[in-house]
This record gives sequence, structure tokens and C-alpha cells, in this order.
Amino acid sequence: MIGFVSYLVFFLTITAILAIAVLGLNLQWGNAGIFNGGVVAFFGTGAYIMIILGGPERGGEFGGFGLPWPLALAGGAAAAGLLAILVGLATTRLRHDYLAIATFGIAIAIEAFVRNATYLTGGAKGIRGFERPLEALIDNPFLYSLFFLALAVVLLIIVYAGLSRLVSSPYGRLLRAIREDETAARSLGKNPARVRLEAFVIGAVIMGLAGGLYATFYAFISPQDLAPILTFQIWAMLIVGGAGNNLGAMLGTFVVWGCWVASGYVLSSLAPQELQLYAGTLQYILIGLIIVVTLLIRPRGLLPERLQVTKRPGPQNTGVISNAGEQYQS
Amino acid sequence: MHSGLKTLIGATVVTAGLWAIPAMAQDCTTKIGAVLPTSVDWGRPIAETAAFAVDLFNVAGGVKGCKVEMILRDTQTDPKVGVDAAKALVDLEKVPVLLGAVSSGVSMPILTSVTVPSKVMQMSCCSSSTAFTAVASEGKTDGLWFRTFATTRNQSAVAALLIKERGYKNVAIFYKNDDWGQDIGKLVKADLESMGVTVPASIAITDGQSSYRSEVTEALKSQPEAIYMALYPAEGALVTREWISLGGTQKMVVANSLKSDEYRDSVGLQYLGETVGHDSAQPRTDSARGFVELYKEQFNAEPSGPGLPNSFDAAMIAMLAMEAAPDASGPSIAASVAKVTDPAGEPIFPNAEGLKKAKELLGAGKTISYQGGTGPVKFDTNGDVSAPAVAWKFDESGTQEVQYFTLDEVDAFISSLEN
Repeated sequence: MIGFVSYLVFFLTITAILAIAVLGLNLQWGNAGIFNGGVVAFFGTGAYIMIILGGPERGGEFGGFGLPWPLALAGGAAAAGLLAILVGLATTRLRHDYLAIATFGIAIAIEAFVRNATYLTGGAKGIRGFERPLEALIDNPFLYSLFFLALAVVLLIIVYAGLSRLVSSPYGRLLRAIREDETAARSLGKNPARVRLEAFVIGAVIMGLAGGLYATFYAFISPQDLAPILTFQIWAMLIVGGAGNNLGAMLGTFVVWGCWVASGYVLSSLAPQELQLYAGTLQYILIGLIIVVTLLIRPRGLLPERLQVTKRPGPQNTGVISNAGEQYQS
Repeated sequence: MHSGLKTLIGATVVTAGLWAIPAMAQDCTTKIGAVLPTSVDWGRPIAETAAFAVDLFNVAGGVKGCKVEMILRDTQTDPKVGVDAAKALVDLEKVPVLLGAVSSGVSMPILTSVTVPSKVMQMSCCSSSTAFTAVASEGKTDGLWFRTFATTRNQSAVAALLIKERGYKNVAIFYKNDDWGQDIGKLVKADLESMGVTVPASIAITDGQSSYRSEVTEALKSQPEAIYMALYPAEGALVTREWISLGGTQKMVVANSLKSDEYRDSVGLQYLGETVGHDSAQPRTDSARGFVELYKEQFNAEPSGPGLPNSFDAAMIAMLAMEAAPDASGPSIAASVAKVTDPAGEPIFPNAEGLKKAKELLGAGKTISYQGGTGPVKFDTNGDVSAPAVAWKFDESGTQEVQYFTLDEVDAFISSLEN
């Protein structure tokens, strides 16, 4: 039983960390309609900068600032935001698929950079992190894993609460207005380019925070963690959960990551001996199948975006809103 | 919200349900875990060889009379997935021993965040990064970490030795752009320069590109007399073909990772006449030949992929240590590895008779000296192995040994380099 709880705590910790990144993407794509194909670039920047700022000295390599963990984490998130400002300014004219390709390219460039810039990032062998915060004080692996889960969940709740407030505020309405029709938003005197950049940066800071937590938890980061598959995983979680719905984003993380790892567990337990060697390949098929089937049954995600209607008295207004609503659904 | 709540509950139930399916108990089985990249072409034979070792052990009666069940999980070469698989094996299946992983970038987070905190022994067949030696020498592995793959230090020294023996004075290097490749590329370059050999170019090769023409052209500019390659078969074949077609020298020294039929066939044997490879494993001992025989009997093919004898030995040593351990906990199994790999012990080759004898000796409290696919194995205090080396070349049937360097010769050469 203790083993099951211990695994569950571990699983939920990773889920909570990934969910933070998915919430960041939900602000970008779900609300502002920004197609970020390079999630891993921001996640990885947060992770690397966190470990460089907070880590101990490494022989002959850059870093070793040994900053307190909260500062290092904040530094990582800020660095991800800084990268987003640069990327956002460079790609400000790009939309949709063009933006996706550009950001995907940036993610590949970042991966290639950390793989080769040995002096800064340790190169392909990666960087070992530091003692996790308060680990020595708690001094019990199981209790510590509970503590870290609580920490990740608290951060997740803070991000969730903050984003929920943001997207239900007039600013959130502005984001969705730009997503639906940029020209119309501009005609109302809004500045879409600036608002899009803001949403892109806030989302990236959140992804950087997730990356920093990830590197703290494993106390290790290497270019292998920055493979493009992570971007795909985060996207799959958001789409399955329901783009535009923060609760859906978190549920999607739980379901997709749960199925991702559970499929491996099920196959290794159930597959006959002679198929065991192919279980890894079958697992990919099963993961794809689960995602496809979910989307066939719930095309707009498990928890679709809820229509936010500003209620106003008067029959005429209601009519207009319901029309807008229909368009929204299509 | 009502339907949303239903979905929430439904999705949770389905996800949780997937976990509840497997719960089948068998009487008297001992589980060991393996996390290997089975969905990758070169990873599957490594897992297959480990499973073969388990089968042999079970035919000989299993561990302390219990059948060994190896639970195999794929890492997808994704650290997140690999660590999760390791955690599930340790927590849910309660394995005291974990075999794997292959990539150092996956083995390292498993070691630091799963096996050491949970006091499980981890034995990797193939992770060669020098970073593990650093972690172990800081005392952070609690003696739970072992690997049957000689460290990159050992491999690079043998490469330098081969180059020295052939009298090449000007050698360009191509290395795979990962932890292993960067490590070995750097070490070989340093060794060659310390011997007075010029290294005009040392070029990283990143996988998955359709052509390496620019990298090859860059190396060609310096007109090296020979090249050294630490690459994997797919990109190695591409680089070699472009290198030779652009007029590069056919004097090549290659790492054991290119010891594959795929590479030989795709380059063409006629261009590989002057190629020599090094391998830290497969020494000229009866046990290494014995492993090849066993392997051929089982799979009807030469064990020509990277890491196969290492994977076999990792699984065998782990199971013998379980047999020798007073109880089934990770630390006592790890402590018993020394009883299995004692140079003063009775030499044991892991075939049916050998295993039977090993069990009798271990049961009587004696030590044995395991002699496997990589020869007599002996771990140092950091869980590393040094190994004798062979030089090999390609031939019609696969590869053929051309020269053998004993453990002493290799160690002597390494210390001569360091002085």
C-alpha cells in the first residue's frame, strides 16, 4: 500500500508540474490564440537558468551562484519571460501556422545550443542540480515527496487562481476578442500586437516556472529533457482537456500523462512474454489511440471552453449575444 | 457544470481503471525490473539479451528456488518516461534490482531520484558517462550503482593506442553529439595531442540529419591522414559514405558502437579494408567465446549490436548477487556483488553447469569470479569496470578480432597517458 501511495505521490507531482506548463499554454493558445510550437524552449530555459542560478559550482563551467531556491526559481521563470519577449518581438507579424513553425525552430535551436555550449550548460551530459529545498531538514524520502507534492500543488493553485482571474477579467475578454477577430478588436481601439505579446510572455513565464520546478524535482537537467516530444505532450494535454478551459487543461494533463505512463504499466503486466519486447512500440500506438478516441468522443476536449456571457438586461442585447454564442460554438 | 463534473469523474475513473487491471499473483517469483529503450531499433536487442540471461537463470533453477520474472519497461529515451517507469517498478512491483537505462541522460535522474532514495540496486549495461564516476566518488550512490560498460576513459585510451600503433600523425575526429560522444571525442583528442598526434578537426555529428556534407567537407580541408569516429550506425554510415565519396582517406579507427552489420552493409565492405575498431568488451577469453556460442544458439546470429554482452553480464551479475545476498533488499544485494565478482573466487561461466556450481558455492558461503560476455568482471569502488580491449575489423560474416589487449596492457597504457 505504501508503495502505491509513494508512486501516486510521485505521479501527481509530475502531473502538477506539467499542469502548470499546460496552463501557460492555455493562456497563449486557449485564450489568446497564439500557436506556440516551442513550449519546450521556455520550459527548458526555466529549468536550466534555475539550476545554474541555484546550483553549486561546477568544475570549469559557468554557474555556481548558489542562490536561495525561490530566487533561482524566479530567475528561471524570468529568463523564460525574457526569451519570450525576444521571440515575441521577432515574430510579432507571424500568425497561426507560421508562428508555430518559427517557435518550433526556436525550440530546436535552444536544444542545439544547450547540447553544444558546454561551458554554460554542461553540454550533452547535462547539469546535476542541488539538494532539494528543505530535503535535509525533512530527512525522510516519503515525507519529503509528500512535501514536494504539496509545494507543486500550491504553486499550481496559485497559477490557476491567477489565470482564472485574468481570463474572467475584461483583459481576458480582450484576449478572446483578439483571438476571434483581430481586425474587429483593432477597430475598437485595442492594440492586438501588444496584447498578444503580453499573453505570450505571461504564458512563457508560467512554462519557465514549470521547467524550474521540474529541474528542482529531478535535481538534474540534460538536453534529453528538451526533446520536441515535450511540446507535443503539453499540446496533447491541452487539446484533450479542452483549450480555453483552465480546469480542462489540468484534467487533460492528468488524463494524458496518466494514460501515457499507465499504458506502459498495463502492457508490461499484461502482454505475453513474446510480445514484451514490442510493448514499447505498442505503447506509442496505445497512447495515440487514447488521444484520438478522446477527441472523437469529445471534439472540443473533455471540459470545453465555457462561453463567457456578460449579462445585460434588455431583449435586444440577449439576441445579439446568443448569435455570437452560436458562432462561438462552430 | 453538471456534465462537466460527470466528465471529470468519468475521466478519473477510466484513468484509475487502467491501473487496476494487472494484479495477477504467481507463487514464488522474484521480480527484477528493467528500463530499456525497447522502442528504439538498437535498444530492443539489448533488452532481448537481458531477457535471455533471465531465461538461462530460470532453467538453472532461478534465484533461491524462485523463478525470476523480469518486468521490462520502455524508456522511449525520454527521461520523464524512464524515471516514471523506474518509479513504478520500484514502488508498485517492489523490485530490489533495476537494470538500465541505456542513455546516461535517463540513467542519471533514475539513479538520483528513484533508486538511491528507495535503496534499490541499479545496474546499467550501457551508460558510459564519466558523470557517474563523479557522483559515486562523492558517495552519493550509496554503493547501489554499477555498470558493466567500461567508462569512456577506458574506451578513449584504447582508441589512442590503436592510432599510436598504426603510426598516424594527423587524425580528424567525428563524434556523436551526445553525452557519450562529447566525452569520448574530448578524451581522444586530449590523449592524441599528449602523444604528439595532430588533431586538425574534431567535429560533432548530430543525429537525424539527411546529409553531413558540411561537416565532412570541414574535416577534409585539413587533409587528415586518418579519421576517428565515435558514431552510431545510422549516422556513421552516412558520414563514412560522404567522406569516402569526397575523396577522404579510408584509414579509419572506429568505436565499438559501429560494430554492426547495418553499418558494414550500408558502407560496403570494399571500403572498410583499412578500418579498425576498438571494443572494451569481448575479450579473448573462453567466457567471451562462450557467450558468443550461447547467443548464436539462441538467436541464430552473431551478437553484433552495441552493448549485448554488457547487457547479458549486467543481468547475470545482478541475479547471482541476489542468490548470494542474505536477504532480498537492494543494499544487501548490492553488497553481495563483490562476492560474485571476486578475482580470488572460483571462475564461473554462466551456462547451465556454471550457474549450478555458482549456486552451490554461493550457498556454501564461498565467493566466485564471474566470467561473462565481457570477460572476468571486476567493479571498482565507484561501480565502474575496467576491461581488456580488442581491436577488430569487418569481414564477410560480421566482424573479426585482430588484436587483443589484456586488462594489464590497457591499464598500463592509461597510466602512461596520464603521466
